[in-house]
Amino acid sequence: MPAPNATMDAAANGKKPRRRRETAQSMAAKQQSISVSEFFAKNRHLLGFDNPRKALLTTVKEAVDNSLDACEEAGIVPEIWVHIESTKKNRYKIGIQDNGPGIVKKQIPLIFGKLLYGSKFHRLRMSRGQQGIGISAAGMYGMLTTGKPVKIISKTSVRKPTHYYEIQIDTKTNTPEILNGKGNGVDIPPNDAGRKYILKHGIEWVAEYEPESEGAKPKDVRSGTRVTIELEGKHHRGRGSVDDYLEQTAISNPHVTLHYLDPDGNQHTYHRSTRELPKEPKEIKPHPYGVEMGRLITMFKDQPATSLSQFLTTSFSRVSPAVARKICEAANLSTRANSRKLKREDADAIYQAIQATKISAPSTDCIAPIGEELLITGLHQVVPGEFFTAATRPPSVYRGNPFQIEVALAYGGATQAQKVTLSALQQLIQESDARTLRQFLMNTFDGVGADAAERIRNEAGFGARQSPAKFKNSEIERLHAAMRNVNLSEGQSMQVLRYANRVPLQFKQRDCAITEAVMNMNWRAYGLSQSRGSLPSGPLTLMVHLASVWVPFTSESKEAIAAYPEILKELRLGLQAVGRKLGIYMRRRKKVKQENERRSVFLRYLGEVARAVSDINGTDRDELYANLLRVAERKTAEADVKFDDRGRKVADQSGFGKHVLIVDQEQQTADDAEADLGPTNPAPVNGKPINGKPAVDANGQQQPKLFD
Amino acid sequence: MAKKKTRKKSAPEKKPAKPPVKLTPQDRKTLSSLKNLAGGVVKAAARSRAPHLEVPSRSLSNVRYNKSKRFIEMGSGKNRRELFNLSQAKSYMQTMLVGSGCKTLIEQGKTTSIRGMYYLLKHTIEGVKEETFDDQSDCDPIIEDVEVTLNALREELHVYASNRGAMVGPLSLTDSGDDIDCSRMGSGGYNIPSIVEDEVLHFRKCTADFVLHVEKDTVWRRFNEDKFWREHNCILTHGGGQPPRDVRRLLHRLHSELDLPIYCLLDNDPWGYYIYSVIKQGSINLAYESKRMAVPDAKFMGLRSIDYERCELTPSVTIKLSDTDIKRAKQIANYPWFAHKKAWQKEINGMLTNGFKLEVEALISKDISYVTEQYAPARLAAEDWLD
Repeated sequence: MPAPNATMDAAANGKKPRRRRETAQSMAAKQQSISVSEFFAKNRHLLGFDNPRKALLTTVKEAVDNSLDACEEAGIVPEIWVHIESTKKNRYKIGIQDNGPGIVKKQIPLIFGKLLYGSKFHRLRMSRGQQGIGISAAGMYGMLTTGKPVKIISKTSVRKPTHYYEIQIDTKTNTPEILNGKGNGVDIPPNDAGRKYILKHGIEWVAEYEPESEGAKPKDVRSGTRVTIELEGKHHRGRGSVDDYLEQTAISNPHVTLHYLDPDGNQHTYHRSTRELPKEPKEIKPHPYGVEMGRLITMFKDQPATSLSQFLTTSFSRVSPAVARKICEAANLSTRANSRKLKREDADAIYQAIQATKISAPSTDCIAPIGEELLITGLHQVVPGEFFTAATRPPSVYRGNPFQIEVALAYGGATQAQKVTLSALQQLIQESDARTLRQFLMNTFDGVGADAAERIRNEAGFGARQSPAKFKNSEIERLHAAMRNVNLSEGQSMQVLRYANRVPLQFKQRDCAITEAVMNMNWRAYGLSQSRGSLPSGPLTLMVHLASVWVPFTSESKEAIAAYPEILKELRLGLQAVGRKLGIYMRRRKKVKQENERRSVFLRYLGEVARAVSDINGTDRDELYANLLRVAERKTAEADVKFDDRGRKVADQSGFGKHVLIVDQEQQTADDAEADLGPTNPAPVNGKPINGKPAVDANGQQQPKLFD
Repeated sequence: MAKKKTRKKSAPEKKPAKPPVKLTPQDRKTLSSLKNLAGGVVKAAARSRAPHLEVPSRSLSNVRYNKSKRFIEMGSGKNRRELFNLSQAKSYMQTMLVGSGCKTLIEQGKTTSIRGMYYLLKHTIEGVKEETFDDQSDCDPIIEDVEVTLNALREELHVYASNRGAMVGPLSLTDSGDDIDCSRMGSGGYNIPSIVEDEVLHFRKCTADFVLHVEKDTVWRRFNEDKFWREHNCILTHGGGQPPRDVRRLLHRLHSELDLPIYCLLDNDPWGYYIYSVIKQGSINLAYESKRMAVPDAKFMGLRSIDYERCELTPSVTIKLSDTDIKRAKQIANYPWFAHKKAWQKEINGMLTNGFKLEVEALISKDISYVTEQYAPARLAAEDWLD
């Protein structure tokens, strides 16, 4: 609105002139560009820093993801150290180190001290990180909450000096500010001199790998990066915790060894089960179908002048000269037209022509799926089920971006809640801030729904409003017994582990395309019970992995996948593939159950028949009973035997097709008793997983060599 | 059961003074067939075979009407009852239990009612919350199964049905050693015992000319009060509706041993027709005993569907036929033993065209003693009955 008019009107009316509001000029003085860092400092919830718990996890997650990306890109088998230390109440120092290639000196400040700086945004290739926000945002969060700078140590080679930086982000300008070494960082010399320097200045750095065998000389860490951030956070266990994230990461990355030292000083190690790195994904050019109008115009402008045909074949994937000619024909343009002299209308015509032309799907070597075998082994190590299956879908395309869906499913076995040890339960109760027992059970244990929690509470005889924090030891024992006794498989709902490019997604389950696809499937067809519009119930764990060059997250915090119809369709097909195999297993299981019921009916009456007969003719009751029992077992054994032959023996799994693992439950139970794994001590990821022997002392007190 | 059993077994040891039970030859025979039954199980089990029983089928499909003998006979159809069959396991077990119950009764020289048998065998199966028999209706058909399987009569198994029939008339007999004169039984008459075999009930002297069987107690009382049997020199019986097997067995003996013709006075409804049919031809359920129970010469005296007009009854004493009545009547008309009898077809059609049924008590509307003083004498004099 033109401001001068308003004042004139006021004067003409002879009224007291109104206080001048803003003028265009005065407003212009206040208008300024907003730096990305300022925006995200205010909107840190967008990046996953909305509460102290999540902040801690997001920081670990961003650092670990970056480390894994770097190692894989450099072809190094990753080894990662995660160290969380409590410095004050609600303040934690988080150190994450990898054995990756390291970072060259001049890039360090930019990578860790500038938002939206990275190598992954512009290329089309599968990687964990994609935006270049994560780790710098974590550093910024740490700085905002504790005022401490981010510390980075990076070593690129044994001979070259190690770089040491302390960095702060200048949120106004979104630029890094180096605090140590008079703004230039510090170079630590290699070899012994460096070791001394590190020791003297208290810099944290793991210099040696764990010895491969007892007494062997430990190998030096030749290169790598360590980032240390101190921040305000909250450490907890159970769902959505760092423990949970690392465990799930170990499932999807069987080639990674993770060392985790938690704030209580417990060392957890997840050993790799393979030294083979995932296939290196190739970078691809964009696919024509995925390019939008505006992008197309920019591309015309950015590239040196060529013929239109040349432009199309060089800047897109899957466009051969023949396809380029077809596009040009459809757009009514010459193949020789100068690509820089095209008008807006021409670009529009080309855009329409691309949509109308048949172009083959993009090459899919830009994606590296986990693979069915590794999915099954990974899942089996963490979920104590009796039936495992997996399916990797062939690659598909959404908006021109190739993607691939993988699904693995585990059925049966005892839940976490039933396997938790008494001491672990005591610790969990201590750490929990849940106000009611029901809340505690539902938040801490996966697969425990409202119904199951209520049943445990009733079994243990606690009041609905009783606070678990005030439980006495005897009461915890009672709760522990109740948790073991209540049958949780009924009313337990499916647990869904979501992954995008091998990164576990732990929040916003309801908003995710994966959850939507799972809930929209009719699982009843596969012998499960499911109420409308919810997850199926039963002792089920489902793992879904979306691998893509560009994962369409619903927000920058990378917590949920957007529901593109192409993705939903592939998800559905993947779920159906594992569902069918589960269906076969469920039907066989049901048959065995029926056979057992049949046997129990016979056994019930055998005693009576034997007694009646011996009453009549005086034969020996027990002998007759034994004879009858033998007949009964023979009569009902048939189905059992068939199942044994076809079902349990992994060698012969007729009817299931490939990629199915069936675990003998009796064997499993015996092993569990031996290993006695609690939720905080997840099954090892290495060693001999099938027989359940722990390959590591999961709760060993041995400290890593932090200082050297 | 375990507790019960030990008690039973230890009982003879505690009271050695109890005299040993004297078994009759019939008892020995029954015991041996029971032992055969049990022996089959032992044999099968020892050879690792699934034991089974062959139970003659007691269904309509397994009975046929023997035209020359004029009663229903059981066919040779048998049902296999297997222990290792989900739907038969329990009844197999129950059959064996009934067998052991009968054995106990015979050895102890005692008899019991079918209800008593039910209580004798009812207990909770060890280890589960299931009862051997849920109620008596579970047990009764099993007892019948044992009868047909062993080809033994219920009496021979020392089991009897509850008795509900009565008799009065010029007949003297010995019942379990007691002399009884059936003409001096007062207003209640002689209760027909559940076992009426010669060993228990021995006819001594009979001067009656015929037997009049009425459907139920109320009519029988009318006849007894009016001393109809004295005036017409007959034996008067009733079976409390569908006559139990003891009443039918007695009628059979009166007819075959004492040569007395049997006349039936029943209600004019499908139920009454069926009672007559059972007395005359035997029942489907107990077809295996027809030769000992059926009285093919029995006559149907009334009530007839023409009686409504013949006796000038009023509409108020009629009862409308229900749908099931009509269905049942048509079914009865199709029984092979009624199918070719024109008089019977006419009778049943008559009732269907009337659209109502008549009870014998309806005749009371004419006069309290109309049935004894006019109706029955008139029929007898005219020899007016259906065959």
